[in-house]
Amino acid sequence: MDMNEIKEIFFQECEEQLAELESGLLKLNDGDRDPETVNAVFRAVHSIKGGAGAFGLDDLVSFAHVFETTLDCVRSNRLEPNQDVLKVMLKSADVLADLTNAARDGGSVDEARSRQLIKELEALANGELPQAAAVEPVARPAPVAAPAPAPAAAPAVTDEGFQPVAFSFDEFEANEPPAIEPTTFEILFRPKSELYAKGNDATLLLRDLSRLGEMSIHCDMDGLPALGSINPEAAYFAWKISLKTDKGEESIRSVFEFAEWDCELEVTLAGDHAAPGEELPMQPVPFDLSMLDEEIPASAGAGEDDDQVAAQQREARDDAVSAAATASNVLQMAQTARAPAESNRSAASASAAQAAAQQAASAATPTIRVDLDRVDRLINLVGELVINQAMLSQSVIENDTNGTSSINMGLEELQQLTREIQDSVMAIRAQPVKPVFQRMSRIVREIADMTGKSVRLVTEGENTEVDKTVIDKLAEPLTHMIRNAVDHGLETPEKRVAAGKNPEGTVRLTAKHRSGRIVIELADDGAGINREKVRQKAIDNDLIAADANLSDEEIDNLIFHAGFSTADKISDISGRGVGMDVVKRSIQALGGRINISSKPGHGSVFTMSLPLTLAVLDGMVVTVANQTLVVPLTAIVETLQPEASAIHSFGASQRLISIRNSFCPLVDVGRILNFRATQANPVEGVALLVESEGGGQRALMVDAIQGQRQVVIKSLEANYTHVPGIAAATILGDGRVALILDVDAIVAASRGHSLKPEMSLAAAG
Amino acid sequence: MKKRVLTVDDSRTIRNMLLVTLNNAGFETIQAEDGVEGLEVLETANPDVIVTDINMPRLDGFGFIEGVRKNDRYRAVPILVLTTESDAEKKNRARQAGATGWIVKPFDPTKLIDAIERVTA
Amino acid sequence: MASRNTAKKSLKLAPVLDLNEATALHERLLSLKGAPVVIDASAVERIGTLCAQVLMAGARSWEEDRMSFTFAKVSDAFVKTTQLIGVDIAPLMAKEI
Repeated sequence: MDMNEIKEIFFQECEEQLAELESGLLKLNDGDRDPETVNAVFRAVHSIKGGAGAFGLDDLVSFAHVFETTLDCVRSNRLEPNQDVLKVMLKSADVLADLTNAARDGGSVDEARSRQLIKELEALANGELPQAAAVEPVARPAPVAAPAPAPAAAPAVTDEGFQPVAFSFDEFEANEPPAIEPTTFEILFRPKSELYAKGNDATLLLRDLSRLGEMSIHCDMDGLPALGSINPEAAYFAWKISLKTDKGEESIRSVFEFAEWDCELEVTLAGDHAAPGEELPMQPVPFDLSMLDEEIPASAGAGEDDDQVAAQQREARDDAVSAAATASNVLQMAQTARAPAESNRSAASASAAQAAAQQAASAATPTIRVDLDRVDRLINLVGELVINQAMLSQSVIENDTNGTSSINMGLEELQQLTREIQDSVMAIRAQPVKPVFQRMSRIVREIADMTGKSVRLVTEGENTEVDKTVIDKLAEPLTHMIRNAVDHGLETPEKRVAAGKNPEGTVRLTAKHRSGRIVIELADDGAGINREKVRQKAIDNDLIAADANLSDEEIDNLIFHAGFSTADKISDISGRGVGMDVVKRSIQALGGRINISSKPGHGSVFTMSLPLTLAVLDGMVVTVANQTLVVPLTAIVETLQPEASAIHSFGASQRLISIRNSFCPLVDVGRILNFRATQANPVEGVALLVESEGGGQRALMVDAIQGQRQVVIKSLEANYTHVPGIAAATILGDGRVALILDVDAIVAASRGHSLKPEMSLAAAG
Repeated sequence: MKKRVLTVDDSRTIRNMLLVTLNNAGFETIQAEDGVEGLEVLETANPDVIVTDINMPRLDGFGFIEGVRKNDRYRAVPILVLTTESDAEKKNRARQAGATGWIVKPFDPTKLIDAIERVTA
Repeated sequence: MASRNTAKKSLKLAPVLDLNEATALHERLLSLKGAPVVIDASAVERIGTLCAQVLMAGARSWEEDRMSFTFAKVSDAFVKTTQLIGVDIAPLMAKEI
């Protein structure tokens, strides 16, 4: 472990502390007044400052210091953490995060913003109100009077007690006081009993004093009572010391730094108050006190030059310390030793003492860090195991005529076990959605600022777990949706007040598990979808026919069409050319679905349902031209058996199928994939009604349905090469490779010879 | 014989720095993450000197020091407070709780070893 | 070997004589009162001021009782610490044999 590794640990820890900081501030914002919450927030900033100081990250230290000072005011009840105060603090937390990132990656930060916040934080610490508070019609000092004290620009520098010092090993030399002419001091030292009670000892102080030069000493035992009446833990001895040193009075006093309050101390120049009659028997103290201190080499004999010896001592110390600068494998060994120790503990029930010792030695954390690669390899292997088990089961069933053999029972157990292993392995990669949710709160703050809206983000179910790969891909669509919710969903405070609502809008982000999937809901209490406007826009854009008869739900879902935006003016936030269609596509790419439901005047709810993992897939196994294919279940809306009367020809070679009152293009999967040269007879097959990226529906023609099952996804790209129209492959129980359809690609491919995608909706009604 | 140092600090960064610095300076290092754990491991750690942070969850440095001073076997162990708090008030509280001395952060290995040597025989 | 009440008693000091040891040392010494005592300080690795105080108080009490109070064997650490803190044990060193 060297300094760079520790620095990496520091940044990891910063991330955790920043998350802690933000969630604590949000709790305070919700009215939580638990002192422990305030403490946790304070500790987070404090911790960042401490580590940053050790690495000489001055920008980070300065900002954290000001932040910490203000938080300390809250901690000591000198500052009420009201919403205005917390607004400043939440912004400060964002800046602290930026500064941390900049320190790690060398990026830049918005210096004006950080300067402004330093001012605001200092104003708060000085008992001034945040500028935002001036809006409130309460008699308060003039809002303009939030001038930060003049020298506040570089606060850390003005704070005497706090000087960031870079992590350096040659500090000792620099701190050495300048040599002075050897002078003789007279020192009177009378310890109090408290000195001993605190684990200090006069012997140690006298030892350090003797190192400063030539010393003789007289021990005053006059106060010592008889053995019968002595308190063994009280201080009785006092000393008069004569010390000839070239280190100056300051070095003498610094020996007593820790004892200052627990003793009487007088340091005077010898001869200053030389009372001629008062001659005490002084014992010379030999310099060689090496036995008292194993660290000091015992080579120095009495009478040797003091400076030389002092230099030797210094060197010895420096050697010991500078060794810290060189990479050491001690810690690494400790770490590698930790993993087996941990598993031992759970396996065999180690004695309590042993466990405590292990804990002490390793500062045990309940987690271990494992390379993602290793987990992925394990997941892959378990995937193979699942496939193998399925194959084994199938061949046993095929060969076992009576079907009652004990092999069958064993196989069932194996299947159960395999499934459990699979679930457990998947759980390793599962992580709570918390980090993503936490990122959203910053996004809400920023957009609220930009749009001048007042927004509260409420999160629920942050600890809901989902596969890491899903989490990683969740942030982007979620960010866009949050932006959309604040920008388009919520009204301005004025409009909200006019509508009789709380001027502060609420955006609620919820995660929960539902039937083997994770469901994420994003609800706002805004105005809801303006259906008239959406409808008009859809007509203007030729998305629907002017006289189309659409349900409310259908209208709401129009917003997922490409290039659809209902905002009157293009704002900073949503005017980036990214529409809800992109969101929908990325959710679908994850094997998920997204829906919207909206109540005019009360807001909208977006509901996303996503698979818990991207390693397995619930699929429908179908047959097309004697090939076995898998269609992701999430894409399928319904399956139907086409009747001859429902099939309509359209143009030269295209066909439509009428489903209830609407028409839907029929896509022959066998043709698209070139499995066969001529079109199959729809009546002899099955139609799978699927939803594609544009939101339009298609009926995919397949020959037959074999059943539904969970399949392990095998990448085609990794094992073979990309095949258009195919998302991935899997291995079925009988050992055959089955291709998993890329429904969107199939639909897109069908467009070339097919109707315009919009037509499906236009035809409705 | 190696001197045994018990360090109590909730920051992983500082714990690692302490560990590297102390091990390289020839100390045997035992680490705890907060005051509660610090008191728990006191017996097995059997330290010659203790280095503790002030701001920690569960039990802070003040409480931890008081706990050590109340322990019949370990009340004589010198305790150094390692903290960024440099103001007199915090020092005073630590002292009243029974701290032997203090090391003002930012963390500096020389200062640390120096302070440990000052309070140990 | 002698059977009178002036029979010499001996006291072996612990290696670490810190705050925790002071009370115990005090009690041991009190229990030895009334008889000459020989103190074995050969195992001492560390002696703090508190224990030095107790020993010196003992030396005085024994002197008042006109009994001998001597150090038979002393470790290097013991000698050096007493020198450092200005406690002169030379007069208390056992001289016989």
